[in-house]
Amino acid sequence: MRYWVKGRFTKGAILGLVIGEAFSVVFILFGSSTYLSFSNRVGLSTGLSEVALTILLALFLVGLIQSGFNGSGLPVSSSDVDYVFTSPVPPREVFAAKVLLNSLTTVLLGFPPIFVLYLRFSAYYHTSWSSAVLAGLVTLVFLVIGLLLSADITLSLGHGLGERKKLWRNIFIILVIAVSLLPITLLIPGIPVEVAEVTRVLPNGLAAAVSVGLVSGTSGGLAYLADLLLLFAWLGGVLVLGVRMSRGHFYDLLEVPAASGEKFDHPNQTSRLDPKGKSIWSIVRLKEKIMISRTREARAQFISAVFLSGFMIIYALSGSFQSSPTSFLFILFIIGSFGSGTASRWIEKERLWLLKSSPLSMRRYVKEVYRARVAPLLLYLAPVTVAVGVPLILGGLSQPSFLLGVILALPGALEIASITMAGGMFFASKYGQSSADDILSSQQQELADIRRFLFQTIINLVMVSPVLLLVFVSETLVTILGPGYLPTLAVGLLSVSILFTSLSINFLLNKAGDAVSRREDL
Amino acid sequence: MVEISIQNLTKHYATLVALDNISLKIDSGEVFGLLGPNGAGKSTLLKILVGILRPTSGTIRLGEYDIVADPEKAKKLIGYLPENPSLYTGLTTLEFLQFVGKIRGVQDDLLDHEISGSLKSFGLDEKRNSLVGSLSKGMKQKVALIATSLHSPEVLVLDEPLTALDPKTRVSVKDWIGGQTKRGVTTILSTHDLDVAQTHAGRIAIIDHGKIVAVGDVESLRRLANTASDARLEEVFLRLTEEKGEEPARH
Repeated sequence: MRYWVKGRFTKGAILGLVIGEAFSVVFILFGSSTYLSFSNRVGLSTGLSEVALTILLALFLVGLIQSGFNGSGLPVSSSDVDYVFTSPVPPREVFAAKVLLNSLTTVLLGFPPIFVLYLRFSAYYHTSWSSAVLAGLVTLVFLVIGLLLSADITLSLGHGLGERKKLWRNIFIILVIAVSLLPITLLIPGIPVEVAEVTRVLPNGLAAAVSVGLVSGTSGGLAYLADLLLLFAWLGGVLVLGVRMSRGHFYDLLEVPAASGEKFDHPNQTSRLDPKGKSIWSIVRLKEKIMISRTREARAQFISAVFLSGFMIIYALSGSFQSSPTSFLFILFIIGSFGSGTASRWIEKERLWLLKSSPLSMRRYVKEVYRARVAPLLLYLAPVTVAVGVPLILGGLSQPSFLLGVILALPGALEIASITMAGGMFFASKYGQSSADDILSSQQQELADIRRFLFQTIINLVMVSPVLLLVFVSETLVTILGPGYLPTLAVGLLSVSILFTSLSINFLLNKAGDAVSRREDL
Repeated sequence: MVEISIQNLTKHYATLVALDNISLKIDSGEVFGLLGPNGAGKSTLLKILVGILRPTSGTIRLGEYDIVADPEKAKKLIGYLPENPSLYTGLTTLEFLQFVGKIRGVQDDLLDHEISGSLKSFGLDEKRNSLVGSLSKGMKQKVALIATSLHSPEVLVLDEPLTALDPKTRVSVKDWIGGQTKRGVTTILSTHDLDVAQTHAGRIAIIDHGKIVAVGDVESLRRLANTASDARLEEVFLRLTEEKGEEPARH
């Protein structure tokens, strides 16, 4: 346990943890305020909060079940296999130490944002802060149950996951989702209220019911006590199951991540890179698209975009945009910053020895990779922007000053996403770990990652601030010049914005190409 | 074919002197062996030679092109195999080779023919649609070798091509190196396998602590090391490098 703790909580990891926690707390505060504003505006009861939390926790549970079935319910590294599993330490102790460590990490990582979430709810419902602490602890119990369940599933798999077991996995997951989503049927008139009670057979439903009850001040009585007891029964059950299953050697059941960190569902594929008649650069773009689709990056990007659009639509419906132009700028940045994450690890997938020993121009190469990566990003983000923008434009037709801001902000969000993606690629080129990095140790790399994250955030903010500024001053400009100038202003400012974006992207990508050329850690 | 000329080459990594004023001349069509202990500077020398790293000072010319001043033209002449070639694991074998062929400037009509022939000769034809990430280490090494020679380079730079390979794959790789040298390609072969160096290389340079300790054919190295005329290259190597410590030079 101390060996793993020492390996995990390095100086870089702790610094990263603090920064990550700070960001997640800000995000949770923002998200929960939006939700409560929406809830207040539409006049929803605490029942919806319970349902929302049930679904949120169900997503977490499904993720853990999935990782359990994938064989990574008990995360191990290759050095664990080499040194821990070959040692005379009894497997049951290895299991206990691994689960304890994972739980400890989850509690450390999870508690601050969860506590902030419940604190925001308890302030809204005028309950004491101690109820938020208790609610947070209940949710943590749920998280530990999830981790144990995931470990149990992995240990129960035997060697690999056969086709029949895949069927069971899918049935299991669908069942959890179906039961968790059942309360949504309450929106249909005539459906009995008891339907919502069904979710209380699962740990996510139980945790949501008890936590929301505590922060909203509606807890108490035998029903809540029964829910709590049932939750702990789940905890006891999965713990006993895990301990029983870890009696024998189990390391061969675990999936040790490959050095490349990539997983492929199907080792054989139809080759799609036909070079006949194509230029070098179209082949580079095609290669990048194939890589994105095969390494699950495209799927992850799509899922993130779906979550983002859901969040944005709720935010737009809550009316927060109309009430405060600054919050609109914040939203612009949330859509925009979506770009930086998607390309932040591109350099790890590159093979720099191959590229740098070829006669290719690195500046041009980076630009072509960017072209291949930005296209799907804009494809996913454009519908999100339209979904948010259409009701705003329709609602703002009578207010020209407001309308100009919206007209600038919709493409502005996409421009910001494009700039932050270019920024992400530049910082990855400068600080990211390459495919065969033999100079930086993992601890040094963690510190480099943190430095990169901070620089990237600051520089990206600076780079996109002119676009944000244009949106911000648009209302004042229309007021000064008059509504008659709206079309001219819209065309003029939009052109300036697009020109600035193009120049910024070109600048960042040139810097990225130069950074790749200068790298010596191949 | 291409002659290689290295003049007063120095490379520093911060305070570490990885290469210290190295000068070498490799004739066109020659197979040149590079031996040295771990950390001696062999890989650094090869990386500078192929244009991946920039030298701190000194020049490298491949034929008429300087690798720093004219990198694009010089790189067209080179085929490089690094010590641990990491490949695009998300591409199939065929896609990977098509991509490499394209960026190395191989004509479309030649590329298919080259790839098919090489895959057959290495026994990888059945793996053409397998993801590179799913191949064994030996197979990946063979794919990397094919990628190295797809554009029929005039200079081959091979960094430890036989490391951690099973005996069967080692034989294939040795045959491949033999085939390339017969083609008259100027080859620099860095290796810890002294038998391979003795068999394939006409001349050998021993590098230690960033400096060339000795250059010549096996006979002249034996004389330099004051060993018997039938001494094995291993003994010669140990004699020539034994007086130095383990730590590389620092400023």
